[in-house]
Amino acid sequence: MSTDPYATLGLTKSATAADIKKAYRKLVRTSHPDLHPDDAGAEARFKAVTAAHDLLKDPETRARFDAGEIDASGAERPPRTYYRDHAEAPGQGFGQNRGFEDFGDPSDIFAHILRQRGRGAGPGFAQPGPDLRYTLAVPFLDAVRGAKTRITLPEGGNLEVLVPKGLQDGQTLRLRGRGGAGYDGGPAGDALVTVQVLGHPVFRRDGDDILITLPITIDEAVLGGKVTAPTVDGPVSVTIPKGASSGRVLRLRGRGVMRANSHAGDQLIELRIVAPPVIDAGLSEFLAEWRKTHAHDPRKAMMEGMPE
Amino acid sequence: MTEYFTQSQAIDLVPGLSASRLAAFAAADLIMPVPSDQGPGFRRIDLARLGLLCDLADHFDLEDDALGVVIGLIDQLHATRQRLFALSEAMQAEPQDLRRRVGARFVAILTV
Repeated sequence: MSTDPYATLGLTKSATAADIKKAYRKLVRTSHPDLHPDDAGAEARFKAVTAAHDLLKDPETRARFDAGEIDASGAERPPRTYYRDHAEAPGQGFGQNRGFEDFGDPSDIFAHILRQRGRGAGPGFAQPGPDLRYTLAVPFLDAVRGAKTRITLPEGGNLEVLVPKGLQDGQTLRLRGRGGAGYDGGPAGDALVTVQVLGHPVFRRDGDDILITLPITIDEAVLGGKVTAPTVDGPVSVTIPKGASSGRVLRLRGRGVMRANSHAGDQLIELRIVAPPVIDAGLSEFLAEWRKTHAHDPRKAMMEGMPE
Repeated sequence: MTEYFTQSQAIDLVPGLSASRLAAFAAADLIMPVPSDQGPGFRRIDLARLGLLCDLADHFDLEDDALGVVIGLIDQLHATRQRLFALSEAMQAEPQDLRRRVGARFVAILTV
C-alpha cells in the first residue's frame, strides 16, 4: 500500500489520536468482511484501513511516518481468512433486495443467486488477487553477492526469485504480479518472499561489514608479513603488521557487502595467534632463554585493584 | 480430514488473542472447541471465528453479552444465507417452467 494513510482514514495530518480511533471504528464497521459477507470489495478496503490505522495508532510510528522515516508500506500483516469464508461461501448482490425488480427471466433468478456466491463474481467488481506469502532460505554468499534462485510452489511449478546484492536476514521481497490471480479481470496479487539468510562457517555479517577470524602463526605475529585471507569475492593478500596480538582487527575497506545505492561495507579481520602443532626443542629453549631477559606481564594492569 | 490446532497454536495464530481472552470466550459459549484427550481442538473455522471475536472486542469495545448478541446475529445471517443457497441449488435441478413460476413469485413477493 503506497497511499497516504491519513487519506485512507479520511483525515488530515492534524488529526488527534481520538479522531484516528473514531474514523477507524467507523470504517471497520463499513468494511469488515465478516460484517459484510456480500461485499466483494470489503476485504481490500478493510486491509487498507487496518494498515493505515496500524501506522497511525502508535504515536511513535506516526511521528516517524510524519518525519518521512518510514513509508506507508511499513506495516505488512500476515494473511488471514475471515469467518465468512468458512461460515458459508460468500456472494454479493442480494444483501438488499434491490436489483430484483427488473430481473429479466425469472427462471434464471436462482442461478443468479448461486453465481453471486463467488467472491467478486458480479460485473464491474474487478479485484486484485490476494498477495501470497513464501519463505526462502538463502545461502550466506548468495545473499551477499546476489543470485538467482527458485521457490518450488506447494501447488506445483516454481517462482523465480532474483536475490539482490546485500540482502539482509528477515527482509521481504515483493514480486509484483506473482501472487494469486485477480478476480474478474483485476490484476494478480504480489508474492511476498521473506528471506532467511543462512550462516557461513567462515564469514559473519554485521550490517554491511563482513567479519572473519584469521588464524596466524607465532612467527607471523612477531615478524609480520603477507598472508592470504578469504573475502566474499575471493582470496586477497593481507599484510600482518609486525608484533600483532590476538584480537587485533585489520580493516579491508570496501571488501564487505555492496548494496545498490549504498557504500560498500568493509571486511574486518580479527587475528588469532595459533601455536604450532608441535613445540620443538629449539623453540622452547629459545623462549626459555628469551624470558630471562625480556620478562613482561601483560596482565599487570588487569590485576590492579582486584580482590586479593 | 479436519485439521485441529491446540490452544497455544490458536493463541499464536490469531492476532489479539490471549489465554485469558480465549478462556472468557469459551466460558461465554462464544466458541466451542472440540474436546479431546490432548485438550481442546480448534478447527480453521474456530480460528477465523476467534479472529472476528477479537476484532469486535478490540474495534468496538464489545464484551460478553454485547459480543454474544453480535456474533449470534452473524451466525443467524450465515445460516439464512446457507438455506437460500441450498434452495437456489435445489431449484436449479427443476425444469425451466417451474423455475420461471417460482422465480416470478419470489421476485413479486420481495418487490411488493
